[in-house]
Amino acid sequence: MSNDDLYWTAIDLANGVLSGSMLGGYYALISVGLALNFGVMRLINLAHGDWIIVAAYLCATAASASGVPPFWTLLIVVPVMYAIGYGVQRGLLNHVSVQAAERRGMSPVYGLMLPLLVTFGLSIVLSQGLLLIFSADTASIKNDLSYSAIALSADLSISTLRLGFFVAAALLLAGLSLWLKTTHIGRAIRAASDDPETAALMGMRTPHIYSVASGVALASAGIAGFMVGMSRSFQPFDGPSFLLMAFGVVVLGGLGSLMGTLVGGIVLGIVQVLAGTYFGPAAQQVAGYLVILMVLALRPQGLLAK
Amino acid sequence: MSTSVVDAANAAATAVSGAAAAPALRITSLSAYYGELRAVHDVSIELERGDVLALIGANGAGKSTLLRSLVGLVNHGARSHTRGSIEFGGKRLDKLSPDQIVDAGVALVPEGRRLFARMSVEDNLLAGAYLPRCRPTIPRKLEEIYTLFPRLRDRKTQIVSQMSGGEQQMVAIGRALMSSPKLIAFDELSLGLSPAMVDEIYQNLSAIIEGGAIVILVEQDLKRALAACTRFCVMLEGSIVLEGKPREVSEDAITAAYFGAEAHG
Repeated sequence: MSNDDLYWTAIDLANGVLSGSMLGGYYALISVGLALNFGVMRLINLAHGDWIIVAAYLCATAASASGVPPFWTLLIVVPVMYAIGYGVQRGLLNHVSVQAAERRGMSPVYGLMLPLLVTFGLSIVLSQGLLLIFSADTASIKNDLSYSAIALSADLSISTLRLGFFVAAALLLAGLSLWLKTTHIGRAIRAASDDPETAALMGMRTPHIYSVASGVALASAGIAGFMVGMSRSFQPFDGPSFLLMAFGVVVLGGLGSLMGTLVGGIVLGIVQVLAGTYFGPAAQQVAGYLVILMVLALRPQGLLAK
Repeated sequence: MSTSVVDAANAAATAVSGAAAAPALRITSLSAYYGELRAVHDVSIELERGDVLALIGANGAGKSTLLRSLVGLVNHGARSHTRGSIEFGGKRLDKLSPDQIVDAGVALVPEGRRLFARMSVEDNLLAGAYLPRCRPTIPRKLEEIYTLFPRLRDRKTQIVSQMSGGEQQMVAIGRALMSSPKLIAFDELSLGLSPAMVDEIYQNLSAIIEGGAIVILVEQDLKRALAACTRFCVMLEGSIVLEGKPREVSEDAITAAYFGAEAHG
């Protein structure tokens, strides 16, 4: 093997690891909300992907209507998504939770099914609603960052946007972990998810606490939607593919571990990019799901869960 | 600050209604139902500050249900409810939700401890101080609890599910104490613990009682319960069949009531 070959092999690998990690940040951002809902609250939210698309449309509409740089739309979209998340949990999901089913004397198995059915229905309502309002044409958030890149060497560069997402994902996940770990409301979310009845004995109003958690989950989905809109075009029915991706990342990283979500995203990203580099585009998706299956078989609690 | 205003208002209300002599806790004709099933039947109890009440009775006598009624869990369930009234410090507890009852100064150490299993010792204790009125006193209460149970101080970062039953019971007691309760109820305090551990916990109980709180104790161990209490109630099939002060009633009579036999003499 000549020196040239070695050089290009090294560049390929470095490029795979670098852009895979950056892709991991993107995956992690998409998964944060689900990690909170599913990983911490044990609520399977099948509408998660659709909420991301809703946020993407909100950002795109706000940006084109106001003419401000897209980033500033987050100042409105994130609080709006928080409010929606709080309201939907309080007005709808709290009434169909496992605990609500038990209080009505239904079996817990039925209680697990209820939120699945309701969020599945919500997913349909959201995507059809978007179709009604925005039509089936693709949309995107117009920006100049999509094609900009930072050169690290002559043959190695990273996308500015992807780097931004990576940093945002790391900050958001670290911030949320700290929030769950150290604040009274964070502790209450963990306690109420673990044992709602005993949480009530601590003076916790569990309906409010679940609603705050879901509000934060949707606020994170708001950031994810902004990111999706900045980096690609989207349609009303794109939600489920994001949901699937997020499930993979959360399972990979480990339930209940928010930092595991970042690790899960990075592992998935690197595997996909390397598989794409060496075995072609078709291998990219397959390799990702193979890794998820392998982790499920060998370490079902996920990479970072205790 | 707002809490003290409310307390003052309640105290004033009590004074105005001329009920200054009313007992701190008054349970009047309380019945508790799970669906059609009546688990507690027409129970009335009055307790003063400093009282330690032992609730004695066989499994299924309604002791736990009585405690769960007190803290609002029976009314909180959609298929269970209570009748009658529970007054504490001038408030009708039976009209309040569990979180409001904790705020009113009532804490329960539940049967089976019910700790937040995936959280550390200190996180469990802090969860007990969730209410805004409890937060300013957190450092002082933590210090009190670590002085009461020194081994918890050494293990404050340990996940509670990895601890022994006795240590978990200490965490459960500490967690209830974090809310500075004026009434604290223990459901099956010694169940599943080694005798040495039970001794240690009962020693600490006297320190809690000296703090001036009303204590209600549900206990299988008749001798221990009678030694610790100032008053006792024996429950049978949801009703109180015998009550009194421990030294005034013979142990035979209590045992007879416990098993539902006719007490002779």
